[in-house]
Amino acid sequence: MMTSSGHLATKNTTNTAIKIDKLNKWYGDHHVLKDVSLDISEGEIMVVCGPSGSGKSTLIRSLNHLEDYQEGVVSVFGQPLSRDRQSHKIIHQTMGMVFQNFNLFPHLTVLQNCTLGLTWLRKMSERDADKMAMRLLDRVGIAQLATRYPGQLSGGQQQRVAISRSLAMEPKIMLFDEPTSALDPEMVKEVLDVMIDLAKTGMTMVCVTHEMQFAKQVADRVVFMADGEIIEVGPPEQVLVNPQWDRTKEFLQHVL
Amino acid sequence: MDDLNVKNPPTLKQFVPTPPRPPRQSKSGIFGTIRQRCFNSIGNSVLTLCVIAVLFYLVKHVLDWAVFNAVFIADNRRQCMDISPDGACWAGVISWFNGLIYGRFPVDEQWRVNVGVLLGLVWLLPLMSKRIPLRNVILLSWIGLYPFVGAYLFLGGRFGAELGWVHGVMTCLALAFLTIIYANWILSVWDKKGLNELFVPLVSRFVERRIHLLSFVAAWLLIALVMAFALNQVSLEPVAIERWGGLFLTFIIASFAITMAIPIGVVLALGRRSKLPVIHWLSMTVIELVRSVPLITVLFMAVTLLPIFLPADVEFNKLAQVLVAVCIFAGAYMAENIRGGLQAIPKGQYEAAATLGLGYLHTMALIILPQALRMMIPNIMTSFISLLKDTTLVSIIGLFDIMLMARNIANDKDWVGMHTEPLVMISVLFFLFCYSMSQYSLTLEKRLKVDR
Ligand SMILES: Nc1ncnc2c1ncn2[C@@H]1O[C@H](COP(=O)(O)OP(=O)(O)OP(=O)(O)O)[C@@H](O)[C@H]1O
Ligand SMILES: [Mg+2]
Repeated sequence: MMTSSGHLATKNTTNTAIKIDKLNKWYGDHHVLKDVSLDISEGEIMVVCGPSGSGKSTLIRSLNHLEDYQEGVVSVFGQPLSRDRQSHKIIHQTMGMVFQNFNLFPHLTVLQNCTLGLTWLRKMSERDADKMAMRLLDRVGIAQLATRYPGQLSGGQQQRVAISRSLAMEPKIMLFDEPTSALDPEMVKEVLDVMIDLAKTGMTMVCVTHEMQFAKQVADRVVFMADGEIIEVGPPEQVLVNPQWDRTKEFLQHVL
Repeated sequence: MDDLNVKNPPTLKQFVPTPPRPPRQSKSGIFGTIRQRCFNSIGNSVLTLCVIAVLFYLVKHVLDWAVFNAVFIADNRRQCMDISPDGACWAGVISWFNGLIYGRFPVDEQWRVNVGVLLGLVWLLPLMSKRIPLRNVILLSWIGLYPFVGAYLFLGGRFGAELGWVHGVMTCLALAFLTIIYANWILSVWDKKGLNELFVPLVSRFVERRIHLLSFVAAWLLIALVMAFALNQVSLEPVAIERWGGLFLTFIIASFAITMAIPIGVVLALGRRSKLPVIHWLSMTVIELVRSVPLITVLFMAVTLLPIFLPADVEFNKLAQVLVAVCIFAGAYMAENIRGGLQAIPKGQYEAAATLGLGYLHTMALIILPQALRMMIPNIMTSFISLLKDTTLVSIIGLFDIMLMARNIANDKDWVGMHTEPLVMISVLFFLFCYSMSQYSLTLEKRLKVDR
């Protein structure tokens, strides 16, 4: 089905970006992911929502191996991932991640945060890396802050830097774990605008978020999770407006 | 989100912020401040007066002893006593001053120590300038190359004979490197290209890639060759290591320990956190063993035990043994400092590095250690200061460092029993060094805090 060389199986073999198959995870005896299966196609915007503790973070972090899982298979572009070097390489070449609390490197300037991966991993020359990073920073509207340190930026600006930093590595899939939850309401919009722009470029995105407006506006499908299980999957109009399960309805009444 | 941007209806009152005003200035001046702080109540006034009285009493006695009643010119202790029985006899310290600083280094050759120490400082000077690119490289070159120059000057001998060819070559390379650093610095002040750039046209004729690196190497080797010819002309009087001593020796040991402490500490600290059991237990054993034993014991062990483990034909001089011991000791303490810093780095930093695709070495070298070391500057400086002071212990195993030289004064037939003055003088010297180190650490902290 696929070539085993370093390169990824291309679109013509499959257009599934991520295939999650019967994922199970336990913290000790605590069963946090229960037989989770999900296919995410290339270019799809997938929003994951659900109550606190339902396993959303655990699921999205399992995709790029920030968490271990005990059972199940995750495939990226048709290649099943394991714990070996090859899989790590695939993960780093295809997936970028944005965290709830930004996790910028505080000792580096905004620009250095973005060029770090380019100069050290891609072996790009400093000038090319700077040029590329400036283009990305410009795209998220903070090119003028390039020489500042993260501590001198507002939360919204920091999160936009974090997005540029991920984008600099040219991922095919972007994972967002509650990117706006640590932000003041006034700053949520500037980050969401960047994400909406990104969605329009055809990037595959998996977003854990409670911003239902965002979900309605750009999501192709919404996943509702509770207690480590996927309860509903479907287009936003279906899951968010006409949920099939009482659990979903209850949750939506709280968030909306 | 759209409903957030609704225009304010015209009926609403408009909010106009109150204009800012400057804070109130205190007009009372220095006397006012003193009165406010020290004489604002009866109890406080009494306290202030008492403290002033005690201070006056102390300072007067110290000054009387150290300055007003002190003897600066005398031939021996008896004369001192005759001139002024209750004052310090600085004449003894002055006549032994050279010994305190240089130990038993031959008097005619002491200029070499001055030049060597000066070169070391001069090498580090560019680190202060923001103009200079790649300051880390300069620091690394100091650690890696300067010791050869220093040893060449301090030990002496004909070029390539007593110390061997390898040492000679390294000395030339080191001197050439220093020359390039300074030439480029001076040229950069005039906005000229660096010395190594001169070779770019030539080098680019032969190779396509890494032109700048290779032209730098070309310039470096050429200058080193010139240095080799120059050094070949002079021959320095050989000086045995046993004759090194005084403050000079203290400096050598302390700077060795200070420069090696961080690399050894980093390796041990990372080893202790390693998931591989062998490395983990090895690092932990070294750290705990060394930390739970006094430095004197480590020194004695190095001098008595190390030769037992080494093959019989390996001749190891006492200084080298002491250096090894002090480095391990310093490294073990530093490891715990660094471990503290590592623990303070949030998990998110590791995760962010991992999602970018950085491996273990990159993550540590680029993300984690810079932050951990920065966070630990106060602790690291404290360790450095106590290291500097601890190195005086080597006098116990018979190295003629400044402490042993001070005790020698009391054994000199002219200055029999003179203990206090040399110790006071050493205290003052050490206070100056340690105080400037701690001040430096404060400015460093302030400078780096701007980043966050
Ligand atoms: N390191 C851990 N050790 C033990 N249990 C954990 C750990 N991390 C998470 N859990 C548990 O796993 C479950 C799922 O956690 P997860 O962080 O995925 O929830 P979440 O859906 O992201 O919630 P939130 O919306 O609050 O972020 C929770 O019940 C949590 O208590
Ligand atoms: Mg979460």
